[in-house]
This record gives sequence, structure tokens and C-alpha cells, in this order.
Amino acid sequence: MQIQVKCSCGAEKCPEWAIIELQGVVEVQPSFQHSLQNLQIGLLCRPSSQENYTFTVGYHELTGYKVALKKPMVVLKKIKYMDVERQIDEATSSSSCVELDVVGFIRHKILFKTRPTTLISGPQPTVKEKINAEGA
Amino acid sequence: MMEQPHSCCKGAEVLLNLQPTSSVSIQYHPFFGSHDDLVLLELDEKLLSDVLYQRVTLRGQPDEDAVLCTKSKTYSVKFVGTSNSVFLIPPADCSTSHESGGENYKQQVATASVIKVAPGNMELVEVAPRLDKLKSILSENLYSSDEASTAMGDLYKWDDLINKVQASDDELKAGLQALSAVEIDGYWRIVDEKYMDVILRMLLHNSVLNDWLLDSLVEDKVVSVLESDGFPRKLVYHCLNVYGSSVEEEAMGGGVWRLDARRVCVHFARGVLREGKRKMESFMEEWLRMIPEEMQPSFDMLEGEVLTEKIGVETWVRALSVSSLPTTPAERFSILFKERAKWEWKDLEPYIRDLNVPGLSSEALLLKYTRRSQPSIDAEPVFSAR
Repeated sequence: MQIQVKCSCGAEKCPEWAIIELQGVVEVQPSFQHSLQNLQIGLLCRPSSQENYTFTVGYHELTGYKVALKKPMVVLKKIKYMDVERQIDEATSSSSCVELDVVGFIRHKILFKTRPTTLISGPQPTVKEKINAEGA
Repeated sequence: MMEQPHSCCKGAEVLLNLQPTSSVSIQYHPFFGSHDDLVLLELDEKLLSDVLYQRVTLRGQPDEDAVLCTKSKTYSVKFVGTSNSVFLIPPADCSTSHESGGENYKQQVATASVIKVAPGNMELVEVAPRLDKLKSILSENLYSSDEASTAMGDLYKWDDLINKVQASDDELKAGLQALSAVEIDGYWRIVDEKYMDVILRMLLHNSVLNDWLLDSLVEDKVVSVLESDGFPRKLVYHCLNVYGSSVEEEAMGGGVWRLDARRVCVHFARGVLREGKRKMESFMEEWLRMIPEEMQPSFDMLEGEVLTEKIGVETWVRALSVSSLPTTPAERFSILFKERAKWEWKDLEPYIRDLNVPGLSSEALLLKYTRRSQPSIDAEPVFSAR
């Protein structure tokens, strides 16, 4: 079978997405695990004109920088084909009604390679105390 | 700082255009989740426009690993996992700013929302097209002289082939050409070699009867004479294509063809050896007798088609056509070393020169699949299985 890779937003208008990458995992406190929507993870700051960044998560602060990806990435979205005729035709093969849509591309990420430092003075006022960053 | 009209205080844009001494709140997207339907694909810069302009497809059966095909190349698709947390942040358009707008507005802080944590990404590795399957499916149902009376088995149109064979369009076309396949009534077929033999012999026979020159066959005459002998027009053209090439357009209109001596000679050598190996003398005698007078056969033409071996004082010839061998290096070498445990370079080279492995030179292939030995310093190197 053949899956056409589409770009329904159009090549010119295909939007750029972003990545924040850090070591290890961010753990959500159990009481919030089922209400993640709009929950703040942390605050990303660009302290100077350089492409250096800090990411403050709970009591932890990460330092990192913006890097251009060696190779670009595209974000593909699998879409179930809804055409009725075709579904009947190929009812035996459920995977035959899939399309891939390019919904974005990525050229940069903000990378935090180091383990976090602990903020001695406690959390910044804007950061909620609900999340802990666990080093890898 | 925020004058640019396109800049917005939400989503990936704010992250990518974050101004010095400012900050952005990173939060979970209202639709945060595993989103298995969102996949990251890393690719070469040169492929990006092919992907964005919808010039690539994924090909493969459900039981095969998918490959990605551009117009001319084939890539295998591999998943590469990461233990880092990769927060994927879509542009604001994709986020539901309306639902959460009020709350964010109160915060008066730019926000960017994480839609998922990507477990890794897909990578592309250029690979050789998987054309062995093309040969095997087309060989199941050869086009033969009694075509009308044979029950129709599976036949394949171009669209069926691209659904079944993991190769780019260009590679598939080249593969069809290499197999001497022909499109008949919309279906791609390999014509039975025995039927091709009948047509070729009839063409040569007619060239003698009508004083045609084999290096300037007038298309219209050839086609009309062979059609009157009962061969389908399409097959006559196919015969000209397989054993010859178009030379020029004649002033009056019709095309002119030249038969290729090597291809004709190879055809008859295969015919002689179809029943099994022959002593060199008897092979040469029969082979030379079949070849049209105008052609100058030489044994060198059979490179990559026949093997010679000394048994006692006698030299024997047998058929081993490179086109009958698998195209993947491991299988190719395995069969070659079953045929013969030790190979000299001059014998081996015709059987591996067509192997196409992106990123691997023929030297690297030899290193990987053969053991090279040299009995003495001035002796020819010998290759055996690893």
C-alpha cells in the first residue's frame, strides 16, 4: 500500500514548531496528574542577548541554549481516512485508510544538557510549587 | 519588542522569538497527551521541500517495514528513541487560545504550551530499492504465446506495483526495464523467454528473406511483416526494444532500429545452456551456428551470463545470469559462494558490479562479505565466503 504524505496547510504556510529538550523527566505531583491542562511546568527566561536560556521548574533551575538542529524535522500527523467508499473497498485492511499530514517543521530546539541546580532562595514567585524536575 | 505583527504571545512563535531579558511560561497544553498520531521525522535539508510539496510517499505492505520514497530514491524509516524529555510545542494556531485565553490574560505572561513529550523521532536511511519482489510477482504469470488460453492469474498495473514494491517511481521504472517487462493492456508483464525466442528467430528469418540489414531495420516493415506472421504489434515493438535500440528517425517518417549484437548473442547462449552445462567445444559450435552472419560473437560478450570451469582436461560452460540473482548483497554473495567456493576477481566482478548499496563502496562490500586470500605475492587474489 501507499500512504501519501500531504501538507494540507500548504508548503509556504507550514508553521514552525519548537522543542524544549531536557535530561530526565518532569514529574507531576500525584494530585495534579489528572488535571494537567494549562498547568505550568516552569518559566523559560532569556537573560541576555545571547541565545542562552534558563528554565526554572519548581525549586530547580536548568541552564541551556538554543541550538539549530543538524537536520530539520517535520511533524507528521496520522489521519484516519474517512472516505466511505474506500473503507468499504478495503475493509479487510484497517491500516489502508491512513494519511500523513505534515502539520509543522522544526529547525531549533532549546536544549538543557546539564543537571538542574537547586535554587537556595526558594521558588520564584511566578512558579507554582507543584512540579519537581528529577535529574536523569 | 513585540511590534512585529506576526509575533504573538503564545505558542512556538513566542519561544522561537523570545527577546532578551524576557520570559515565557511553559505549560501543559489543554490537549496535552500521548498523541501517538503525532510523529517527528528527521530528514535531510534537501528532502524538506519534497516533503512539504507533497512529493513523497510511504510504501510497504502491513508486514513490511515502511520505506519513504521520493521520485528517485528509497529510504528506510527507523525509530530512534531518546531518554531525554522532548517537549513538543505547536504554534499558537494549533492551541486553543480561546479556551484558556482568559486565564492567561490575567497572568499577563507569554505562554507556550506543550502538546506532548516525544519519545524519539523517525530517521531516514537511504537504501537500495527492494526490487526482488518485483521480479518474483511478475514472474508468477509470464506472458506467453498461448496467452489467450491461459487462465488470468494476478496481473499488476503500475498503481498495483507501487502499492506492492518498495521502490521509488524512478527505481521501479528502471527495475521494469532491467527485467525487460512491458506494459500490455495496462498490465506490466515479463514475456516468457521461449516466446521472445520465437519472435526474435522470426525477425532474423525475415531479415534474411527480405534482405533487411540488422543495423538498420525499418520499423514499419518489421512490424507489418511480423504482424502478418501473427505476432501482436506490441510484442514486435517489445522485441525490438529488448534486442535492439532505436537509431534515428528516417526522413520519410518511420523509425529505424539496430539489433544489439551482445544482447542477441547472450539470448542464444542462454538458449543453448537452458538444458544444462555443456563442454566448451560443443557449446561454441551450437552457439555460433545460431548467430546471424552479420554479427561478430565473442565469448567475452557472455560476461555475467555464463561460468566456465575446468573438469579434468575439459572446460565446461554453464549458465549463471547475473539478472537471475538476488539484488541484496547478503543473498547475492551467499548464492555465488554456493555456486563456487572460490572466485577470481575477473570472474566475480561481473556478478557484483550491479550491487547497489547506498553508502557502501564495492571495496567495502567485498570486505564485508568475502575473505580475500593471495597464495603468493604475484598470484591473483582469490575470494571465498567469510
